[in-house]
Amino acid sequence: MVIGLVTLIIVIVIGIVLVIGSGIGIYNSIVTLRNRVDNSWHQIDVQLRKRYDLIPNLVETVKGYAAHEKETLEKVIAARRQGIEAGNIKDQAKAENMLTDTLKSLFAVSERYPDLKADAHFSRLMEQLNGIESNIAYARQFYNDTVMKFNTRIQTFPGNIFARIFSFTGKDYFEIDEEEARGPVKVEF
Amino acid sequence: MYEDIAKNRAKTVLLILGFIFFISLIGYFIGMYFDYRYGYGTAFSIVLLVLALVIALFVSAGSYYFSDRIVLSLTGARPLSREKDTRVYYMVEGLAIAAGVPMPAIYEIPDTGLNAFATGRNPQNGVIVFTRGLLEGLDDEELKGVISHELAHIKNYDILLGTVIVVLVGMISILANIMARFMLFGGRGRRSSKSGGGAITIILLVIGIIFILLSPLVATIIRMAVSRSREYLADSSGSLITRYPAGLANALKKIKDNSQVRKANSATAHLFINNPLGRDSKVIFKKLFDSHPPIDERIERLEKMSLGIGTS
Repeated sequence: MVIGLVTLIIVIVIGIVLVIGSGIGIYNSIVTLRNRVDNSWHQIDVQLRKRYDLIPNLVETVKGYAAHEKETLEKVIAARRQGIEAGNIKDQAKAENMLTDTLKSLFAVSERYPDLKADAHFSRLMEQLNGIESNIAYARQFYNDTVMKFNTRIQTFPGNIFARIFSFTGKDYFEIDEEEARGPVKVEF
Repeated sequence: MYEDIAKNRAKTVLLILGFIFFISLIGYFIGMYFDYRYGYGTAFSIVLLVLALVIALFVSAGSYYFSDRIVLSLTGARPLSREKDTRVYYMVEGLAIAAGVPMPAIYEIPDTGLNAFATGRNPQNGVIVFTRGLLEGLDDEELKGVISHELAHIKNYDILLGTVIVVLVGMISILANIMARFMLFGGRGRRSSKSGGGAITIILLVIGIIFILLSPLVATIIRMAVSRSREYLADSSGSLITRYPAGLANALKKIKDNSQVRKANSATAHLFINNPLGRDSKVIFKKLFDSHPPIDERIERLEKMSLGIGTS
């Protein structure tokens, strides 16, 4: 009789320990995944900052050869400043896309100045810029991956229970707003 | 892709559990043998298991911690730089961001065969080595496929897994070795008072002895099965990084008949993206011992992925 009771108590205690243990595990994994999302978002910022830092150098180099392309250059500078000063994510995304567009025009400009194209410094900067653009894309891809994992964890059982108790909310994917960015690219010469 | 990866991870767990079960079986047979000859079977077998594990760990620890340095010195590698090797450098940098791992150190070896390998005990100490032939022979998308495959190995801790398995295989070999000596040279011991049970015991003992002697072979087969399975996993994980399985598929087509690396040997062979020692084995028995899956099968799976057939 007593042995039966003791066994029962032991089983119950082990059961409770297991439940609490897995509860801790689930909560911690939710926090870990959420922190990864935050981290990967900031990693995008690291790449964006690299781009911002590169641009003044690029603009100066172009000015050296194509000073009368003032309009294009000024657009680039303005877009850059808007990106840096953007207050929220929406504004920043808009400024970012505008900056990408102006940089494309800048590159188109350089096509018309063979001296500029031949400049080693300019080639290096363009190379770095392309590298950064790629990295931005990769960083956004990784951000979306982390968002997916986090959202999945808090939407599936048993994570969803914890999410409700501790008020974890789903994160947004990185999205492009403008319809025209989704459409086919027009190339004009 | 996601399903492939999940299935593969589950398979790895199963294989490891299989390994542990296998070792337990060996321990059981050892215990039975010692019970029969000398008594104290359980104690003997536990001591032997622990001894074998310690020796195997000791031997492997060095190779694990210095895996990056050892391999680099073996194959004569030159570090790649951002200034001189821009194309590769930027590719690796970007893909490492997409993979979510720190950028590994990258090197080149002056071999004309097309091949690459990854090493390093964790993502913080990752190393990828390319042959000159690979860097010159592949176009951008193909090279990205190879890079992401190697990054996947690093991200999935395949080097760690490989070392764990080598320790387990080593342990089994040591056990088999010790047991063989005992069985050959162990003198007459007093029989355990529990002896009896006649024919069945003898049969079990014989099975046990054969089992123990063949165990290194079986262990190697399991190890190669794990290695092949992780290669498929690296293919899938890598495709998830680039989102473009066709890149690696096309790279493998080029690598297929041209992956020989002069400085590689059978100890380092499993680290390469494709067998650096020559052709895939066609004979079934030899196929069990291949560290890499047949390359045509890999290409087929990747192409199915890129068409979205079968796997999700």
